[in-house]
Amino acid sequence: MKLLARLAASVAVGVIALGGASAQAKDWKSVTIATEGAYEPWNLTLPGGKLGGFEPELIENVCARIKIQCNLVTQDWDGMIAGLQAGKFDVLMDAISVTPEREKIIAFSTPYASTPAAFVSADQSPATLAKQPGAGQTVKLTGDAAHDKTTVDALRVALKGKTIGIQSGTVYTKFIDTNFKDVATIREYKTAPEHDLDLVAGRIDVAFDDSTYWASAFTKPENKGLAFTGPKIAGTVWGPGEALAFRQSDKDLKAKFDQGIQAALADGTVKRLSLKWLKVDATP
Amino acid sequence: MSLVQLLGFGEQGWGTTLLLALLMTVVLTIAALAVGAVFGAMVAAAKLSRSRTLRILGDAYTTLFRGIPELLIIYLFYFGGSSVMTAVGHFFGADGFIGVPPFVVGALAIGLISGSYQAEVYRSAVLAVSRGEIEAARAIGMSTATLWRRVLIPQVIRFALPGIGNVWQLSLKDSALIAVTGLAELMRTSQVAAGSTHQYFTFYMVGGALYLVLTSLSNRVFDRAEARVGRSFRGTLARH
Repeated sequence: MKLLARLAASVAVGVIALGGASAQAKDWKSVTIATEGAYEPWNLTLPGGKLGGFEPELIENVCARIKIQCNLVTQDWDGMIAGLQAGKFDVLMDAISVTPEREKIIAFSTPYASTPAAFVSADQSPATLAKQPGAGQTVKLTGDAAHDKTTVDALRVALKGKTIGIQSGTVYTKFIDTNFKDVATIREYKTAPEHDLDLVAGRIDVAFDDSTYWASAFTKPENKGLAFTGPKIAGTVWGPGEALAFRQSDKDLKAKFDQGIQAALADGTVKRLSLKWLKVDATP
Repeated sequence: MSLVQLLGFGEQGWGTTLLLALLMTVVLTIAALAVGAVFGAMVAAAKLSRSRTLRILGDAYTTLFRGIPELLIIYLFYFGGSSVMTAVGHFFGADGFIGVPPFVVGALAIGLISGSYQAEVYRSAVLAVSRGEIEAARAIGMSTATLWRRVLIPQVIRFALPGIGNVWQLSLKDSALIAVTGLAELMRTSQVAAGSTHQYFTFYMVGGALYLVLTSLSNRVFDRAEARVGRSFRGTLARH
């Protein structure tokens, strides 16, 4: 009997020791945040194993504002939402776009980023697009036809008779189709690198895609000569943007982080970090 | 950045991280093989037992763990395990979430799968020992313990070794699936390095090459071991 008691005691100690590391009080002094650590430039791992990138730097800033101790852990994207539901982490931060399907199972914070999309061409052609007012700057569109009319009309003139390359099945495909189908030729591609190939080969005049995608595509030697042209297009036309994910039951935690993100947006922290890492102003 | 710098051991190099990941893969596989040896031996004993219930239980185990995808078992242990632990913790008055460390999950999940294959290896090895030898040992009055120690076990090890070599390779490759739990083994580290540098091709090639190094090295180790335990059996081998 003595042996049994000792065994039970040691098991109990083991359970408590295991629990001690990850158990937390309900008043949210510390939270565990999962990120992928392999999605450059949003979040990445440095050779020494430390995390870097836009999101780790932003969350450090936000956590300091709301006085919560944040422990970042890395996790494959595949198991991330399941891990959140199982209670392994309390928050997810992995460039997660807010979509209506995801909102059914998880709660989202105020978006902290919304990446603009942009036209890219070889050798700054067509000249009409490069010289368009607002070229090189970010224009916010809402998806509301009346609000977006000025920008869209100018683009329609600039792109008249040109060939536009676009990836199939994205939010951008719909935008290009709706606005330019009758004035320009639209070519759809299965993956983004395919429109790059045709752009370099001169088969299409411009391609339209996410600006953070472009930033990394430009670093490839075979894409030399490609550059942004015309205005970058941002805003709610692409959906709400990227946000932190929470369990739907943790409303108090979400409220705290919303507060922190709003403060970081208001004083320019998000803009500064976004220009540093994403090379564009991705403020929503 | 040059390839040498990228894969080197300097501040910007991934060399040290990759070697540590390689070590993690080896340690994880050894742990899994050990867990599997315990379960495998028990299941083999159950499958060879005279009791019908034990035989059915043994069959159920091998059918279950060989028939379900490895990834599913890992998810079951990683997410399900934590939920069970948390529920047990709450029952005893603990508060909050209780996690199971990814290494333990990995060693258990891969170990249980490995155990189902090892059980078959041990079972066939026991059956391969000639009945005549066992009867002879009984006839000269050997106790069961002595019979196991001097007749059965040395031969079972010899017959099982090639099969264990196969199971080792299987477990080594299964260990890559533990990457989903975020444990920094070779697969996960290759992924992280690739995603962090955008050098997908380079790092997946390096990861693949390191797995090949592991499997070919372990092949040689098993060949040596087989030669060694086979020494006293050469005569028998010829007659087989």
